[in-house]
Amino acid sequence: MITLIDYGAGNLASLEGALDRLGLEHVRAGRPDQGGETGPLVLPGVGHFETAQRALRDCGWWREIPGLVAEGRPLMGICLGLQLLAEGSEEAPKASGLGLIPGIVRRLGPGVKVPHMGWSQVQQNFPHPALPDPKGSWLYFVHSYALEPSRETVYVARHGRPFSAVEARGAVMGFQAHPEKSGPAGLLLLQASLAWMGAVTPAPEAPCN
Amino acid sequence: MPAKRVIPCLDVKNGRVVKGVQFKDLRDLGHPVDLAKRYDLEGADELVFLDISASLENRGTRESWVREVARELSIPFTVGGGVACVDDAKRLLRAGADKVAVNTAAAQRPALVSELAEAFGRQCVVAAVDVKRDEALAWRVFLKGGTEPTDRSALDWLWELNDLGAGEILLTSMDRDGTGAGFDVQLIERASELPIPLIASGGAGMDIHFLEALEHGADAVLAATLFHEGILSIPQLKAYLAHNGILVRI
Repeated sequence: MITLIDYGAGNLASLEGALDRLGLEHVRAGRPDQGGETGPLVLPGVGHFETAQRALRDCGWWREIPGLVAEGRPLMGICLGLQLLAEGSEEAPKASGLGLIPGIVRRLGPGVKVPHMGWSQVQQNFPHPALPDPKGSWLYFVHSYALEPSRETVYVARHGRPFSAVEARGAVMGFQAHPEKSGPAGLLLLQASLAWMGAVTPAPEAPCN
Repeated sequence: MPAKRVIPCLDVKNGRVVKGVQFKDLRDLGHPVDLAKRYDLEGADELVFLDISASLENRGTRESWVREVARELSIPFTVGGGVACVDDAKRLLRAGADKVAVNTAAAQRPALVSELAEAFGRQCVVAAVDVKRDEALAWRVFLKGGTEPTDRSALDWLWELNDLGAGEILLTSMDRDGTGAGFDVQLIERASELPIPLIASGGAGMDIHFLEALEHGADAVLAATLFHEGILSIPQLKAYLAHNGILVRI
């Protein structure tokens, strides 16, 4: 069972639609006690770093997440969800991140239009057992801030400068792109990473051709 | 640089997609979900839904078809029409829209744009602006689906929207909308000086018009009739743009 952390700042409808199309079971959880006992946690996010952090504190998730991750629960952050996994963000210098992925999120630019809104190509930077070499696949991005790539960053993209498109640290993964909004390429990525995190896919039906 | 985007626009009235010429003479084209799925398959980069009845009748956009579209679509979409407060936008985003477009309400109360940017981040806020050429103002802003002229110069208003916190501009030339005579490239050139992405709309009649708009600085091109009527398919258009040196997602 995939637990979608519902703190009022994510586009859950699209994510749920994508998971349904992949045949993956999921549940929304406004509080930690409403989630599944096992299986991946997904932290989506749209909006402002500090607003999201405050909402996560208010509903109890912020306190719980580090412990759950320490116990081995896989966690996937998407867009602002990834940024919240980092140590902090220039968007809200006084608010801290979860610190599950090293680095500070920085504003994009100068010299390019911000927000970075649209489809950009991603390249492999560091191999990951679950994720294929994207070889320039197009993914959809909507963001004004991003992590700077480290040696361990899995996929990188460019907007003015290179930035981290996909991060992975043990069972913690983060997508700056929106895989649920990135057409077939995004769905494959979502499927591969959630399968790696232990989401159960029902046995495939026999092909009819 | 992200790819230049090709965006079909779906005007929605009472939960049905409609098409008219210069905001008049509406014709039924089908259910939003059916058209959305078709464009997703054809390789559209994004969709824009404008509830053209909402602003005039002061009514919020229906959430049920937005929710249905979000579940079926694997590309992002914007919903506009009748968004007048943070709560209106929250309901649409909650239902699954990726961005909200504001037009009339933002012109009447500019603080709305800042409030939305503050609440959801500026990348969620699309400022839609309908303009007509004008001797005194170069281009004049119109409201309420193009029915109500204002005293605003379009270019001044675009910069103000940027300062207020808009994340993107959807700029429609009412002179060109529905004519198929080509985009207003002078307008696009001026508007593309803004530091936020520009979606050009109004006037597409053939493939070269899109190329012109993108070459004059638009980040995305939007059209309705051409795509809805099958006069130009999205794969055809993208192949043409790529052939002419434009970075597009294929």
